[in-house]
Amino acid sequence: MAAVEREWKPTPTDGVSTPTSLLQASTEDILKAKYLSVNLNAAAASPSSSSPPFEPPLNKNAHLQYLLRNLRQGFPAHYISQSASQPWLIFWTLQGFCVLGVGLDGQTKKQTVETLLAMQHPNGGFGGGPGQAAHLLPTYAAVCALAIAGQPGAGGGWDQIDRAKIYDFFMSLKQPDGSFLVAHDAEVDVRGIYCLLAVATLLNILTPELVAGTPEFIASCQTYEGGFGNASFPGWALRGSVIDPGIARPPLGEAHGGYTFCGTASWVFLQPYLATVYSLPSQVKPVINVKSLLRWCVQMQGISIELGGFKGRTNKLVDGCYSWWVGGCVGLVEGLMGSGSGSKVDEHADETKADQDGEWDDVDDSLSNRRALQEYVLYAGQHPAGGLIDKPPKSADAYHTLYCLSGLSAAQHRVLPSAQRRATLEAAWKDDPSSEHNALRKEAFLSALSWVEDEGTAKFVGGPSNRVNATHPLFNLTVTHSEGIMGYFYKQTIPSRYAKKAA
Amino acid sequence: MPRVTSNNSDDEAQLYCEKSEWQDITPIPQYDGINPIAPIFYTPEYKDATEYFRAIVKADEVSERVLQLTYDIISMNPAHYSAWQYRYRTLVALKHPLDVELELMDAFAIKFLKTYQVWHHRRLLLTALRSSAPSPLSIASKELAFIIRALSTDTKNYHTWSYRQWLLAFFDDEELWEGELPYVERLLETDVRNNSAWHHRYFVVWGRVRAEGEIDVGDVLKREIAYTKDQIALAPNNPSAWNYLRGILEHTKTPFNSLRTFVELYSTQTAPGEEDIVDLDNPKPGPGAQLPCAPALEFLADIHEEMGGEQTKKAIEIWKSLGNEYDTMRKKYWEFRVKEALSV
Repeated sequence: MAAVEREWKPTPTDGVSTPTSLLQASTEDILKAKYLSVNLNAAAASPSSSSPPFEPPLNKNAHLQYLLRNLRQGFPAHYISQSASQPWLIFWTLQGFCVLGVGLDGQTKKQTVETLLAMQHPNGGFGGGPGQAAHLLPTYAAVCALAIAGQPGAGGGWDQIDRAKIYDFFMSLKQPDGSFLVAHDAEVDVRGIYCLLAVATLLNILTPELVAGTPEFIASCQTYEGGFGNASFPGWALRGSVIDPGIARPPLGEAHGGYTFCGTASWVFLQPYLATVYSLPSQVKPVINVKSLLRWCVQMQGISIELGGFKGRTNKLVDGCYSWWVGGCVGLVEGLMGSGSGSKVDEHADETKADQDGEWDDVDDSLSNRRALQEYVLYAGQHPAGGLIDKPPKSADAYHTLYCLSGLSAAQHRVLPSAQRRATLEAAWKDDPSSEHNALRKEAFLSALSWVEDEGTAKFVGGPSNRVNATHPLFNLTVTHSEGIMGYFYKQTIPSRYAKKAA
Repeated sequence: MPRVTSNNSDDEAQLYCEKSEWQDITPIPQYDGINPIAPIFYTPEYKDATEYFRAIVKADEVSERVLQLTYDIISMNPAHYSAWQYRYRTLVALKHPLDVELELMDAFAIKFLKTYQVWHHRRLLLTALRSSAPSPLSIASKELAFIIRALSTDTKNYHTWSYRQWLLAFFDDEELWEGELPYVERLLETDVRNNSAWHHRYFVVWGRVRAEGEIDVGDVLKREIAYTKDQIALAPNNPSAWNYLRGILEHTKTPFNSLRTFVELYSTQTAPGEEDIVDLDNPKPGPGAQLPCAPALEFLADIHEEMGGEQTKKAIEIWKSLGNEYDTMRKKYWEFRVKEALSV
């Protein structure tokens, strides 16, 4: 099989070597060697030169076995470092199955629900394990894992989530600058705010009081590079416990892929609040710089010799997990800029979609290089023994396995806000007479669930057998699981996303 | 050397369940009556210590022995945030000297540099010490020196940098700030591509909030542009330096066009010849420069776009050349820029 000619130009160093450029060069050597060896092995296995250009398969079976081993047999002792992140281990594993299109049996679901409920704190929220303090990060992971494995009813998990106490827990973490501690006596961090907003949106516990000041905080974490840092410093702007909006709150920490995803997703989650609460002309709406955010995100994509993977910071190395944190974030930014089906006429509806490179470009109007990102995951992200990785020669772990797969999914599918889907959901919406915040909650529900796959735009490097499921760009759950849990907690019947066949 | 552990070095290998002084506690297993999914295979030491920790938390015990127990747990798992939280509360409740705790944690912080909790714990300690210690500034200054030591083992460690920025802002004393620019410059001399150092520079120069009239922003901007141009001349294909330059121009609302002469030196194929007049304001690319460099082309296109009118065509030409030749990975993005410019 013939491989496609590839550009192997290294990152230019201008003849000046520094620790950064030396590490970069050795990484480029490793990635290039990996690419060539994958192709060489494929050529040895199938020496016919007339076959189409080789593209590596996603070794689904090996990855499923890896996930299954973790789920059934458990994790080896070096995962003690993750023993305060047990809901994450479960979420990464279950969501890995979902992205690979594998459902869970009833017994596994039951066992999962029991395990997660053992981590719910008596005062609200979930801890990293039983008997651990509640923390925003495991609360997100536990609720998302319950969205996958749970259901209503006794022992189903959903009715056992103490939503009122989660809300109280959230409020107890709130700071005067609109941010939240991740746990009592712990740090403020954009990741925690993402987790809080995702959970509040999924469980229908959003209130204006909860998120007052939060958009301004998120905006303050954007750095001069365009991405987000991990927090900002409120001290200069604080007058007692009130923020003076005229004084800057500089970001702490440089622009970073993880925080940029969390900051951007938080910003999207906060749009319903901004839309319903900042309606008076006298109110100054906080803003972020979407243009510089987009620029930063696309600048993080590595060049050809880096196989098109994403970096997490300027002048750092590509890593498979940023396929999701930054690759996925490009989709969120596109959503913020108003791309998506229904907001424009589908120019390509009549075109036939031949499986050719040129055609790929024609029908792809996303702003990152989706083909290259898929190549990175397929060539560099797969461990031969199953599971996915940062980059060769690292070993697989639960975290990289999910975020490489989710990143691959984000590169295969375009999931964007659809005006049409929104209209359908809105037509079916029924106000909940018991809820005080119908306007905000309706908007949160419609905004979150209007993200659906832009049909006909999926692209699979390596062919359709490499297809993985689409994931919701805000939650990293499938759209089906997002709809399932939200429909339940918002008491809505969600219309099917698939057109009914004519009778 | 800092004191690493406290009272019981004799029986280090002993499990808590074997220690006579812990016999009053009934350990609590992690999972009671359920068969957990995806379990971790703990070492006997970790399992033992965390079972006693759960019992302590449940009983709300505040005692010296809690300090030993939490120390043992975070030594095995520095990400055990509940053990850190409980330790901090115990230190405060027992009125334990916090400067002693800070020193105890020095070796720990270096060893577990990448863990959030080690830095947050120091932040809690420094916060408390600012209002209680006899000379908080000397503690802060010592802490800045310690952070330099930590960063010397990993010059881009995220939490360490974030912590340093917090510390400077929190104590906000000229004596502390004044060493920062020389420190950044030392780091950039070693590695001009260290983006963490560039970000720190931005924080120190532009993030710090000062009293009105304390500095002349025009002078500072002039100094920063000159410094950044020199760093770009040294290694033109360095996105960190270009991002800094863009950042400070946007922050001060300075038109990109004001740097056109400089940028043009880097957006052409060949470096200008030796015989050209030396222009100190516009340092020329070094001998090894690989030109044109993509960040300069992007910058020049932004200048054209900023000028508008007829110049938009030039911007479009450059974006096309980036997409087709100089930065093909981002072809989609450059096409988007073209589309945006045409739609205006």
